[in-house]
Amino acid sequence: MSGMDRIVIEGVGGVGGFGCGVSDLTRALTGSACSPGTLAVSTESGTVPIPAFRADVSRLEEFLPVRTLRRIDLFSRLGLLGSYLALADANLPDEERTRLGIIIASGYGATGMTYAFLKSLIDDGDICASPTCFASSVHNSAAAHISIQLGAKGPNLTVSDYHMSVPSALATARIWLAEERVQRVLFGAIDELSDLIGYIRYRTRGAPPAAPMTPLRTEMETSIPGEGAAFLLLAREGAARGGYCTLDASTTGSLPFPGLPFPEPGLLVLGADGCRASGRRYAAVAQNARVACYTPLYGSMPAGPAFDLAAAALILKGGRVFPTPGGAFLDFPATVPAGGDPVGADRIACITLAGNEAYGLTTLGRLNSL
Amino acid sequence: MLPLLKRGEVLCSIQRMSVAPIAITGMGCICAAGRNLPDSMEAILRGERNPAPPVRFASNHPVRYPVFEAAEFEAPPDLLRTSAFGLHAVREAVADAGLDRKTMGALRVGVCVGTTVGTVLSEETFCRGYLAGLIPDMTPIRRILRGNPADVIAREFGLSGPRQTVVTACASGTDAVGIAGSWIRAGLCDAAIAGGADELGRITYIGFISLMITDDSPCKPFDKHRKGLNLGEGAAMLVLASERVLRRSGMRARSFLLGYGSAGDAYHQTAPQPDGAGLRSAISEAMATSGVSSTSVAFVNAHGTGTPDNDRVESRVLHDMLPGIPFLSTKGYTGHTLGAAGAIEAVFTAACLEIGKIPANAGFETPDPDIANTPVREVTTVQGTVALSESLAFGGNNSVVVLGKA
Repeated sequence: MSGMDRIVIEGVGGVGGFGCGVSDLTRALTGSACSPGTLAVSTESGTVPIPAFRADVSRLEEFLPVRTLRRIDLFSRLGLLGSYLALADANLPDEERTRLGIIIASGYGATGMTYAFLKSLIDDGDICASPTCFASSVHNSAAAHISIQLGAKGPNLTVSDYHMSVPSALATARIWLAEERVQRVLFGAIDELSDLIGYIRYRTRGAPPAAPMTPLRTEMETSIPGEGAAFLLLAREGAARGGYCTLDASTTGSLPFPGLPFPEPGLLVLGADGCRASGRRYAAVAQNARVACYTPLYGSMPAGPAFDLAAAALILKGGRVFPTPGGAFLDFPATVPAGGDPVGADRIACITLAGNEAYGLTTLGRLNSL
Repeated sequence: MLPLLKRGEVLCSIQRMSVAPIAITGMGCICAAGRNLPDSMEAILRGERNPAPPVRFASNHPVRYPVFEAAEFEAPPDLLRTSAFGLHAVREAVADAGLDRKTMGALRVGVCVGTTVGTVLSEETFCRGYLAGLIPDMTPIRRILRGNPADVIAREFGLSGPRQTVVTACASGTDAVGIAGSWIRAGLCDAAIAGGADELGRITYIGFISLMITDDSPCKPFDKHRKGLNLGEGAAMLVLASERVLRRSGMRARSFLLGYGSAGDAYHQTAPQPDGAGLRSAISEAMATSGVSSTSVAFVNAHGTGTPDNDRVESRVLHDMLPGIPFLSTKGYTGHTLGAAGAIEAVFTAACLEIGKIPANAGFETPDPDIANTPVREVTTVQGTVALSESLAFGGNNSVVVLGKA
């Protein structure tokens, strides 16, 4: 994409296991304790509480009347809260909201409502299935709620590519801005921990360990499921009023290792989430690089790479690296800088890996001046 | 040669420049009308349609709503039916484009697919077992998690470009085509496979019945007595290529993707905005980016679901913005194929432009006094070099592509 304005991250909003908003995220990144809660999973041998990073959406009432929220499910509430936090963080005037483009990335969509609809059909019969649950179960329901509440009438897109959802959707966000379809894109990633997701997670990967996530310890499965929403307000440089950093590139693809086309960054933020299978791939990519990994603050979820981007944006604005929770492990073939170390260069790359070959790579740059 | 917008012919207030046309070099389709695009086109021009109660699944709902199933299509057991539809359409489109795997391997080819059910963790047998406290078989869930339609297509053809699965409900297929065109213009890939795919299952069937927007008789888009939609299933895929690739590869353009626009209603989760403001914006953007004037428009392939709300809003917008231009809905032949609809209708639109005629709007008999214009009632010869294909969706998504004659 040549000849286009740079893209600036003007605002950041997030809610997850670490808390709510930039201040909570910064506090967690700086080294405050961030312990998971629990998710009750119904199993054949009874209800099992498993560790999980849960998100508290109660602050949404600061932005919307309780009455408005009555029929809005958790998935959309997560998205709404992330949106309002990012817009407030950027101080975007209300009148500019109508011209926003909206892009949402979600690995699994509104699984709570999907499950609720199925339950209504199974429990009550075909004739009594819940229309409300069905309408709320579509993947773009959160994007619709956000556009309705903000009055945003620009283009509106939802993307679902499981763990590649964030880099994939970001590439399209960059194009919208480059094409000048819109001056700003409200970009967000959302995933909720519903009963269904909890059970599937339990069946496919077993109960998560009670110990903290240690994603750089690749011989162990240490992932803890998470939920939340991370939002970025993206603007063309000419329209931006300030912000955190630039969004320089976002690509996805499939390549055998070695050969990932990322530029030499000051820091490589790994999306490693404690999954043993992908841990080895991350180790191969990170060979001899300076790396950080913040997933132990929000847990394992397809929306996770958007939290990585939020962390990277805060680092570039502050100029100092946050410590990787749990620190380095001897067998991990990379340098893990201590908290407070300088970034080391003007760029941070965030990498996400999935399956045997897929990668997503997003590069952020220091914002010198506007 | 494409007619360009003349000075003073600006159709809309959207301030966007026209964009470079993207060649459509191959098309494939499977739906209730046929197992490939030529068969489907012949069927719809003959006026054939065969809605019937579903045979692939059962329901204890007392009313047996007709649907448009893709007859005699069986997906391999390890593949989602949605992804199998997608692959079927891609194979036809790739063959139509004259591409082989070696040529595709030398290009950076992206995949952009729209769907509504292809990435949803919605499996009834699994959920029944879970709710009953059993240990349900995980096979269906694994099939879904491995079955993302864009990934399946990219894996099958060894494609190395960007992949995206678009889930903007019933606008997904149109959005996927428009986005893939942008990828090529932006240099993210040399070529792209773009379209939509969706299977019809019990959950979708019951869901739409619960919303009370399905017709218990064959659907009647734009008719006074329309009662709702009939669901369908299938897929359509287009091979899109840059001009550079077109020159280098020897492919020929069957049609061109000239413009794309999309806009949100910001109004309601399941109902269109009564004044159609979002659709108006989407049409305006699509026309502005195509750089063509309304005088060049041969016809509009409308969303035309047959629901009272959709058809009222859509016809009002067409009456205001593109008065006198023939329009039709092809959903009377295919049913509403949801995430596939925009793609199926895009390939029908391109194929109709090639032959210069459009089928009758199946199901239309009685004009509605609330609708100022009427769709075509018989096979109609059309003049003009471009055509629009529209999609409206839950969530208030409106998307439009402008296609041009090669």
